[in-house]
Order: sequence, then C-alpha cells, then structure tokens
Amino acid sequence: MTVTEQEIADYAARVRAALADLPPAHRDELTEDLPEHLAEVAAEADGSLVDRLGQPEAYAAELRAAAGVGAAGTGGRRLDRRLGASVDRLRARAHRWDVQLGPPLGYASASEFLRLLRPAWWVLRGYLAAMLVTVVTTGDTFGVLPELNGSLLAGLVLLAGSVLASIWLGHHTPGLTRPKRRLLHAGTAVLVVFGLVGLADMNDRVGNGDVSYEQISIDGRYDHIRDVFVYDREGRLVENARLFDQNGDPIRLGHPTCLADLYVNGTGNPLLFTYPYCPQQAPFAPRVPAGSEAWTGVPPLPAPATPGTPAEPAPAPSGTPSPGSTPTDAPTTAPTATPAPSRT
Amino acid sequence: MQCVDTTQLLKGVLDLAVLAVLREEDGYGYDILRRLRDAGLQEVGDASVYGTLRRLYAAGLLTTYVVPSESGPHRKYYSLNAAGRDQLIRSGKLWRSFATTMDALLDDRGMAA
Repeated sequence: MTVTEQEIADYAARVRAALADLPPAHRDELTEDLPEHLAEVAAEADGSLVDRLGQPEAYAAELRAAAGVGAAGTGGRRLDRRLGASVDRLRARAHRWDVQLGPPLGYASASEFLRLLRPAWWVLRGYLAAMLVTVVTTGDTFGVLPELNGSLLAGLVLLAGSVLASIWLGHHTPGLTRPKRRLLHAGTAVLVVFGLVGLADMNDRVGNGDVSYEQISIDGRYDHIRDVFVYDREGRLVENARLFDQNGDPIRLGHPTCLADLYVNGTGNPLLFTYPYCPQQAPFAPRVPAGSEAWTGVPPLPAPATPGTPAEPAPAPSGTPSPGSTPTDAPTTAPTATPAPSRT
Repeated sequence: MQCVDTTQLLKGVLDLAVLAVLREEDGYGYDILRRLRDAGLQEVGDASVYGTLRRLYAAGLLTTYVVPSESGPHRKYYSLNAAGRDQLIRSGKLWRSFATTMDALLDDRGMAA
C-alpha cells in the first residue's frame, strides 16, 4: 500500500471542501464513509489517489451528480471556478494545519480542542454583550462588572440573562436560517471588536495608574522628585506636611521609599501620605542651637520680611525637630492651617 | 448535437446496475465498482458508484455492515434489503420495457447495430 493515511485524509478533506455549499448534514451523510472507501481504493492497487481517481474537486463533482444533488454553480464561469478552486486549496491547507497542530495540544486536531472551548466562548460572549449594554446605556468606560441604570444588582441580572441567552444561541445556531445566522455572526464580530477595544482601553488606564490615583494631582515634569521637604520661616523642617492643589486634590510627588515610615504613618492610602517621606534624608540639617559653627541649615528669612512678629529667639534644643522625632513633636503650624481634604 | 455516450446513458441506469450487482452477493464499494467494470461498464467512475451507494442507502434501499479485515482497512459492505429488492424488480421491468421500445425503434429505422 503506497497511499498514506494522511493522503487519504487530505483527499477526503478536499472533496468535502468542494461540497462546502451543501447543507452540512447532507454533506456529512454523503461523505461519512469516504475515508474508509478511499482506504479500500488505496488498498486495491498502486499509485496515488489523484492518479487513480483524478483531482478531488472532479471526484466531488461526480459524486455530487451521482448522489443527485445540484452541482455547485452549474456551468459556473471560469473565474468562479478558479476562485472556488483556490478556496478549496486554502481549506485543504487549513485542514492540514488543523491536523498538524492537534498533537502538540494533545488532541487529534486543533479544531477538536477548540470545539471543547466553545461553551466557554458562549459565556464570554454573554459577558461582552452585558458590558456593551452597560457602556452604551451609561456612556461609561469599559469596567469589570456590568451595571444597569447605575445598579450593580440589575447589572448582574443582565449579565446572567445575557450569558444564558448566549449559551442558548450557541446550542441553536445550527438550526437558524442563513440570514439569521449571518446576523448572529455580524453581532458576534461587533462584540469581539468591542471586547478587544475595551480591554486595550482598560489596560491603558491601569498602565497609567489612573485606576487607583484618579483623584491625585501629578505632573510628569516632577518625575525626578523623590521626596519633598518643607521648611518653615525659621528654617525648621516641617514634618507630616500635606500638599494640595487648588481643587483640594492631594499633590503626589516622589515615592514613599522609606517603607518603615510608611507603616508608622499607619496607612498605605496615597491620600494620607505626608511629606517628607524620609525626614532623616533632609537636605539641610536641622537647626542646632545658635552659636554653633557647624550649622549649615536653611537661613531663616531676614527679620524685615516679617515686621509684625517679634523675632523669635532661637528655639531651645527641645523644640528642634530631630530626624528621629515622632510626628507629634514636629512643628505643626503649617499643616494645621491646611484644609482637611473633603474625601479620604 | 452532442452524441449520446455511455457516461450519459449510465447516469440513468447506474442505480439499477448497482442494485443488480448486489442481487447475488453483498459487496463493498471498490468490489462493486470492479463487478460493474467486469460486467462491461468500463466508464463507470469511482465517485459515481460511491455516490450512488450513499444515495441508495439514504433512500433506505440498502443496509450496511462493517467487516474487519486483517490485511487492509475495515470494509463497509452493502446489501439489498426488502425495499431494495422491490425497487430492483420495478426498475428492472421498467428498463426491459424501455429497452424493448428502443430496440423496436432502432429496428424500424433499420439502424440495428
């Protein structure tokens, strides 16, 4: 026997491809024994199947005539036939790939594996339909759960309904008339595009940090800033300072790299971060008692700038914030003047 | 006008020919094809026989059974059932009367081969 199983399968696939215009049930009925029959033919004599039986397309045409079903595009124009032939070739190639890709996946063919995933696709399709309704009705961006009229519960009911409908449709697709099936396929294509666009959009927002930091004022120009140190008029480091913009949105600058401090501050909520994150890394040393020559801190503003206030004597050592001091020790005149944020 | 050739004639009578070769003995696809060719129908094509078998089977005139084979592939045998035998008898009668008519027609015109 010189004909391989593969050749038989390819030949049968091309015959089936040439009969693609028949109703699937009819075509299956006509060709269900074809591989066995071809195997018999192959076993009887030498030579390739094409040598013995002619091209699969011609075989299909003869089979069609003998089985009493209408010819495809009877007497069709040459272009049609050529087009049909190349479509058949593509189908045959797709079939070969299908068979070749199957074993690495652990199945006879890739399509067999994909067929198993079909119910999962139905569920996903139902979810996408619910999300489409959500986006269309609320004008919102693509989220994770559907909503209906602002109600999550109604959205979940919608989700359950559309998933069930999608599954039902999945089971009944083969029974639909051709125009209805086309409509279904067009709708499915819309859902796929919608889903991909929605996912890409969501991915963008997550990547920009918009999802969690939407209420925070940030500016790319300050990317190089890692921490913020506020000094008061006297050159004292202000600890636990909070910065806000004109809208009352916290200004987030730098990164809380001192994890220990972050935990001391008690919360990971970015709205509650206070500056500096790392007081011990202050660029200017805290002010030491007057007279010391080692002092390199920020010079206090000259007295004329604040004529109304009497010049304050140099604070006693106990009042000087040291890096290790707890937040309550820090001078808090500036922070307490800050309006508390309306949202937390 | 195109001449009548065997292929065209076969189209009309292939059903009857297939039923006829199955009258004596069941057979599988290639075997039936060989019997038809041995009987003188050289032009009959494999796809035509296979298609005819499928159609007759779908019409309920044939039954099938599979016979495992040690040497080659499993073979699907076709056999006539009661409906098939009925059909064979009716079609056979029809063919004989048709053939007689044609013979007479050709004889009258002095064209007998």
